[in-house]
Amino acid sequence: MDPESESAYADYVEQSWPSLVRAAVFLGARPHEAEDLAQATLVRCYTGWERVSGADNRDAYVYRMLLNCLRDTRRTRWWKDRQYDVPEALERPATGRGADAAERVAIADAVHRALGSLSKPNRDVVVLRYFVQLSERQTAEALGVPPGTVKSRLSRALAHLAANDHLLDISGRSAR
Amino acid sequence: MTDLENLWDDYPAGDAPTARILASAARQRGRRRRLLVRPVLTAGVATGLAGAFVAGTLVDGGGLGSGGPGTPPGARQLPSHAAFQADLEPAASCDDLLDTYVRRAADLVGPWGWGGGPNRVLLGGDGPGMRNEVTPLDGAAPSAQSAERAVAGNAYQDRSTPRTDRQVNSDTGTNVQEAAVDEPDTVKTDGELLLTVRDDDLVVWDVSGDDTERLSSLPLPGIEDAEIMLSGETVVAVGADDEAPAARTDPYGHGHGGAAGGGATRVLTVSLADPAEPEVTRDVAYDAGLLSARQHGSSIRIVLESGLPDLAFVTPTGRRGPEEALRRNRALVEGTTLEDWLPNVTSDDKESQLLDCTNVAIPSDELTIDTTSVVGFDAGAADELDAIGLAGRTGIAYESADHLFLATESGWDPWGRWPMEAGPEAGPEVGPGGEPRGTSYLFDFELDGTRATHVASGEVEGSVRDRWSLDEADGVLRVAVGPSSETGRFSSVVTLERDGQDLAERGRLDGLGRNEDIQSVRWFDDLVIMVTFRRVDPLYAIDLTDTTRPRLLGKLKVPGFSSYLHPLGSWRMIGVGEGPGAKGWGAQIGLFDVRDVTKVRRLDVLSYGRRFEALAGLDPRAFTWLPDERAFVTVLQRHWTSRVGYVSVVRIGDGRLGQRLMRVEYGADVDLVRAVPLPDGRVVLVTGEKAAFLEI
Repeated sequence: MDPESESAYADYVEQSWPSLVRAAVFLGARPHEAEDLAQATLVRCYTGWERVSGADNRDAYVYRMLLNCLRDTRRTRWWKDRQYDVPEALERPATGRGADAAERVAIADAVHRALGSLSKPNRDVVVLRYFVQLSERQTAEALGVPPGTVKSRLSRALAHLAANDHLLDISGRSAR
Repeated sequence: MTDLENLWDDYPAGDAPTARILASAARQRGRRRRLLVRPVLTAGVATGLAGAFVAGTLVDGGGLGSGGPGTPPGARQLPSHAAFQADLEPAASCDDLLDTYVRRAADLVGPWGWGGGPNRVLLGGDGPGMRNEVTPLDGAAPSAQSAERAVAGNAYQDRSTPRTDRQVNSDTGTNVQEAAVDEPDTVKTDGELLLTVRDDDLVVWDVSGDDTERLSSLPLPGIEDAEIMLSGETVVAVGADDEAPAARTDPYGHGHGGAAGGGATRVLTVSLADPAEPEVTRDVAYDAGLLSARQHGSSIRIVLESGLPDLAFVTPTGRRGPEEALRRNRALVEGTTLEDWLPNVTSDDKESQLLDCTNVAIPSDELTIDTTSVVGFDAGAADELDAIGLAGRTGIAYESADHLFLATESGWDPWGRWPMEAGPEAGPEVGPGGEPRGTSYLFDFELDGTRATHVASGEVEGSVRDRWSLDEADGVLRVAVGPSSETGRFSSVVTLERDGQDLAERGRLDGLGRNEDIQSVRWFDDLVIMVTFRRVDPLYAIDLTDTTRPRLLGKLKVPGFSSYLHPLGSWRMIGVGEGPGAKGWGAQIGLFDVRDVTKVRRLDVLSYGRRFEALAGLDPRAFTWLPDERAFVTVLQRHWTSRVGYVSVVRIGDGRLGQRLMRVEYGADVDLVRAVPLPDGRVVLVTGEKAAFLEI
């Protein structure tokens, strides 16, 4: 990779990191898994970077990679054996701020409870389209489904979340 | 703002571990490396001389195409426009043009025919050999800035030091000079189909599957040494016309810079609408040699050189003295007609004059008489021509995205004539005098689709080596010139810009490579890297940011020299050439660190040893840079009892070059070996008869 692409890639890593980690958590990963997933995703993107970096479908490509990484890791041992809230996971100094670790676990728990009732396809759509705020077309590309499917899954997912807002309000109707 | 959205925003994602990600990305790339995997290659040996033959997985697909039906009769000239808008005056009439040809040609004819012939020897009192020894005139040009001084005054080092840029193969898989301008080659691809030419057969391969599949083969009628261009489903093959009657005089015996030489050119158009049965759709022949062929989108432009007419000259015999022979020969020249001088085009068995007399410009008589034709056409309509001419010989054609520059070759007059100091009326019996032409003439044509319009002319003292010596960027022509009678014994970089009808000099840097010859030049937006050579290889980096003041940024001396430079990106550059090694003087490939062009360093060098020659120096199409693999493929040959062709796959990592060498071809087919990158990242290795995927 030539230096310009490499520095563009490094910029992209910095800029996309928070959303990738959050998306991984919202898609069901534990905090430390989420960081591993985000990292694995970015590393995978490095290889084809020059082909995707210029295109406006870059985000679609990257999130598709994230979904692939998630799918791949779910097949591996650690996903099956995963244990919630193991002390090591809590203490893992991911970015050196101990207080954050507990907060991460707490938030992840809340998110998983709220989104756990969604089917996987609907959850993917709602995370990419609603939270990551990919466009309809990008979401469709990332998921490999027609844009119409994105639309219908999103409305179904939001409706489902609205109907099950005993934990969290997603509809926006009840302002806090 | 909902709770989930709050949670999204509140989640402490932390900072990206960018360094860790970059490091594992690099490691991952390393793991992806594989050596020979595919059965395509029977064996592979790293670095050693023992190699492997490429065993293609071929499937024969018969089906020869039929001839081209339905070609409209005759070549059609498109409506002409004011093709000459600068100082070049088109001929007022056909008589006017013929007068010019006859008058200027009279100086060229001697008792033995064209050129001075033996009279050079007979009459050479004050021989040119002596005059040739030019006294060094350091800093000859008053505005010149000596390279050494420039380096000394290079104390300030601004942050915006110019950089090299990556250059990759064209969309059709050819390593070209200009990114926007495609060049003909014996191999082309659109990513799905791969086309090769060998022995005047066009072979179509399907490269979309796991293995290459040979779909069809079509003999290209009446063409020799064809090279092809690809525009959509249309193949345009250009080459020598092997059905042409006796060619005109071409003292070189071959074209130069172009795909094929000789006195006649044929352009065949082949439709690939059915790749299994390609068919020739148009057949256009010119009785002029090919100097250059280029493709801009669907527009094809060829530059032709007619050469001097083949006249029935006599020679002095026992009874006929030189004076008598000269008189008879002059009479022959005076009796020539325009048909002898202007090229004809034949399409659909109808022959017509390619150029209208009033579309031929008459340059100053500094230019050797000849006819250079600039012909544009659309790939889909090779018989609808936009043709203009120049009654002179140039020898070098370079095309940028929207300009064509013709430049005169340096040195001795191509017809073996020495320019007469006494002037044309003195006649050849005055004998040789003067010096090799010290000034190169430049003609700037603006390109618009198939049309070329002459917009400016200029000249530069010094000699222009080849098309790589010229480059246009942002309307500024940059020229690397070697020494001539008009310069000191050094090379220079000169910038010229259009000022009205003149290509006016804007800036120059002299004093490069004193007593050395230019070996290779590579241009960037605001930088040029130039290699000269006599005993060591000084590599110069010259800043062209300010075109009025080219500035030497740095130089590097290493043993040997690079005859071809390829920028990998803004950090690294490859130099392919020759130099000393443990196994003797031979091909060498250097990896240069050009991150800071003021301090170019050679990081590593591969020496192939005695008798190895890297072909990229002669033909850059023998070099392919594969950025995704961080590898390049280059063709080498070894002279033993015959020519043996090798492919060297060179990986770049950690500032080192690692290569494996494969023996792939023998004899003349070595010139046809290409590594063609496909859009999906795979690479096809094309040898004489085969095309097979190459694992990098």
